[in-house]
Amino acid sequence: MKEYDIVIVGAGIAGLTAAIYGVRAGKTVLVLEAQVEGGQIINTINIENWPGNMRVTGVELIRKIKAQAEELGAEIDYVNVEKIVKTKDGFEIFGDMDEKFKAKSVILAMGTDPRKLSDEMMKDAGKRPVSYCATCDGALYKGKKVVVVGHGNSAEHEIKYLKGICSEVYNIHHDEKIPEDAEAVFVAIGRIPATECAKEIVEIDARGYIVAGEDCHTSCTGVFVAGDCRTKDLRQLVTASSDGAVAAMEAVKYLA
Amino acid sequence: MELLDFYADWCGPCQMLKPTIEEFEKAHPEIKVTSVNIDEEEELAEKYGVSSIPCLVVLKDGEEVKREVGVMPLKKLEKFVGV
Repeated sequence: MKEYDIVIVGAGIAGLTAAIYGVRAGKTVLVLEAQVEGGQIINTINIENWPGNMRVTGVELIRKIKAQAEELGAEIDYVNVEKIVKTKDGFEIFGDMDEKFKAKSVILAMGTDPRKLSDEMMKDAGKRPVSYCATCDGALYKGKKVVVVGHGNSAEHEIKYLKGICSEVYNIHHDEKIPEDAEAVFVAIGRIPATECAKEIVEIDARGYIVAGEDCHTSCTGVFVAGDCRTKDLRQLVTASSDGAVAAMEAVKYLA
Repeated sequence: MELLDFYADWCGPCQMLKPTIEEFEKAHPEIKVTSVNIDEEEELAEKYGVSSIPCLVVLKDGEEVKREVGVMPLKKLEKFVGV
């Protein structure tokens, strides 16, 4: 089995930036992605805070970054990582379809998943569709009444988008009753870190984030963390990308 | 067997899934793949009760046998369809 210098878990902005820095430093790099590259950003159709590329779509941006990483020599494989084990000379990474990989160092860049609606609210929603992506599903409810659950920035964003399509957009808290005449429920009640596969190998805080400072070092030597799944204040495309660079260079230092 | 792929042009995840659907089509010519633009074929989307996209529906003798919402890589798609 081929052993990689660096295996990166997650092909979002953080993971792919780490891959670019890793291969440019002469290391062999494999990126493992559970679904499709991009992560959260593929739901965004109008990015205005990625310098140098005004109003780029998430899909366009991630396709370019993926192509860049591959052209430089990074490998990408589609594997849902379930477990990471420390061995005496490195790490073994296991996928949910019996895949197995070996690495000298690991960068965790799994990002976050949308927080799901509570069971109680799901019951309240009944047969009405529940969506976690207004830009995907909003247009299915043209001229209809919908409700957005949540009050944060992303909820505001969803409301603004849906107002352009739907006849009425209600907004409620995550513990309120869903209006009877709402035909679909859009959920934006925050996100939770996708750190399940790493919980046995690194320290994770009470909210599920992998504990690390700006140097991206986790509690396990040889394992680094980049992007939204790290404990930090500002979770943005550019800070995820920045983490990717730092984590990769720290991995390179570790491998030296 | 037939695979229906409900999508829309404005939907990012649908665009990301497209190359995987194309790869699947090439690898499994025995399975008919139909991509349905829900904007142009509202009736079909309604008939199948599509409420979230991308939505994949597997048909056997014209009857729905399973469905899945969201993006997935080729290996998972093959497992889902059962080939």
